[in-house]
Amino acid sequence: MNGASDPQIVLQDVSKRYDTASGVVLAVERVSVAVRSQEFVTLLGPSGCGKSTVLGMIGGLIQPDAGRILIEGEPVVGPNPRQIALVFQDAGLFPWRSALDNVGFGLELQGVAAARRREIALGLLEPMGLRGFERKYPRELSGGMRQRVAIARALALDTPILLMDEPFGALDEQTRLLMGEWLVGVRRRTRKTIVFVTHSLQEAIALSDRIVVMTARPGRVKEIVDVTLPYPRDLNAPEVVDLRAKLWDQVKEESLKAMEGGA
Amino acid sequence: MKVFLWRAAVLVAAILIWEAAAAPLNPILYIRPSSLPGAFVRMWRVPELPPLSEHLWLTLREILVAFGLAIAAGLWLGFLLGLRRSIGRIYEPLLAALYAIPSVVWYPSLMLFFGLGPASKIAFGFLLGFFPIVLAVLAGIRQVPAPLVTVAVSMGARPAAVFRKVMLPAMASTMVGGLRAGLALSVVGVLVGEVLGARSGLGYVINYAYGLLMTAEYGVLVVLVAGAVLAIDGAGALLEARVRRWAG
Repeated sequence: MNGASDPQIVLQDVSKRYDTASGVVLAVERVSVAVRSQEFVTLLGPSGCGKSTVLGMIGGLIQPDAGRILIEGEPVVGPNPRQIALVFQDAGLFPWRSALDNVGFGLELQGVAAARRREIALGLLEPMGLRGFERKYPRELSGGMRQRVAIARALALDTPILLMDEPFGALDEQTRLLMGEWLVGVRRRTRKTIVFVTHSLQEAIALSDRIVVMTARPGRVKEIVDVTLPYPRDLNAPEVVDLRAKLWDQVKEESLKAMEGGA
Repeated sequence: MKVFLWRAAVLVAAILIWEAAAAPLNPILYIRPSSLPGAFVRMWRVPELPPLSEHLWLTLREILVAFGLAIAAGLWLGFLLGLRRSIGRIYEPLLAALYAIPSVVWYPSLMLFFGLGPASKIAFGFLLGFFPIVLAVLAGIRQVPAPLVTVAVSMGARPAAVFRKVMLPAMASTMVGGLRAGLALSVVGVLVGEVLGARSGLGYVINYAYGLLMTAEYGVLVVLVAGAVLAIDGAGALLEARVRRWAG
């Protein structure tokens, strides 16, 4: 049993190598992070710094080469859809399924009856402004709508932990800001633990309790920054501007390294 | 509907022009469309041959068996090579090399091996129909988007569920296209086989009419084959459109 103060997700000295055509690449090196229940933690860093790999390892999709990952004190051995749901950058909706059937996919795998799946999916889609779109297919939806359906599909699993890999990365700036505001609301209602990956300073500051700044490849933890400002966050407030400048100094250095490294 | 009327008008006009052009010419070399109905009646019951319906039925059965075998073998080999990449890497180049050989060169050996009866026609129809199906399965497997598989796995899908709920729907339109091409080629294989050497079947009757300079009768058979192929392909096209709508 865990005490209430124990972290829900623990990464201890986690490393990951990839074998590529041009040799072995160290993607993630000795990353240690602890995430408390109901916390919103963002992994921030330049492209190719291994943020997505870290997320994939927490989700059980990728096996680490060294170190260990514990969820509620138990080692991760593979995907566990009762505990963790993932949202990816590309919405990854099934084009042959309607919005409703996309949202019900995970429940279908768990053997939940069709009527119940429909009820749960509608209950998620309606507050997302997707009432009346449940019969539409992904190609008939806008990018923002598709991403909301993908998030609804993850929420349908009703897991305590949500992992989001640049979920708004493919959206335009305005949609992205609105989706961020919307996610803050979802988080308040659902009280989930969220680990979020982005390379956007703005997004990291607007959403997170803590920001884990990662180095260019190999990805290591460079610094962990607490963000204590209340939601919703005014992105033009002086504290936010200061924080952004501070984070930018950190990230800039790594982005330059990443550029020189040809990433 | 308007397009349909136009097509019908063009067809009727073509037949009328044909009729007018062929009328003054030698009927052994030039078929007049108006001679076809009479030829059909004569052809239905040639005294020296079994009735035409028996030939039609035989050819149809040969096509069905050839296509059925092509589907079974094509799907089996396609999935074997596509899903077991260690095997696929070895045998796919061989398959591509075989496909590059014009299939007709195999037919004499098939006749030697299977004889003049239906077996050699089925074998040839199978051979022609088999390749597009295997290739469509291989192409379809390559087209399955990896992110969709990742999504399913992250939600706890086991390999069987990934296959059924992600791979098959993602491959469906490519596979149906391949099946349609395979069916068309199985029809060609069986008919060519019958024309080249047989004792019965539609292709044999075509060859028979041609050999006796029964040009109008030969024309009737060509129209019959064309009608049958159009009907089969039309059904295939409908099925393909349905699957495409479903699979997006």
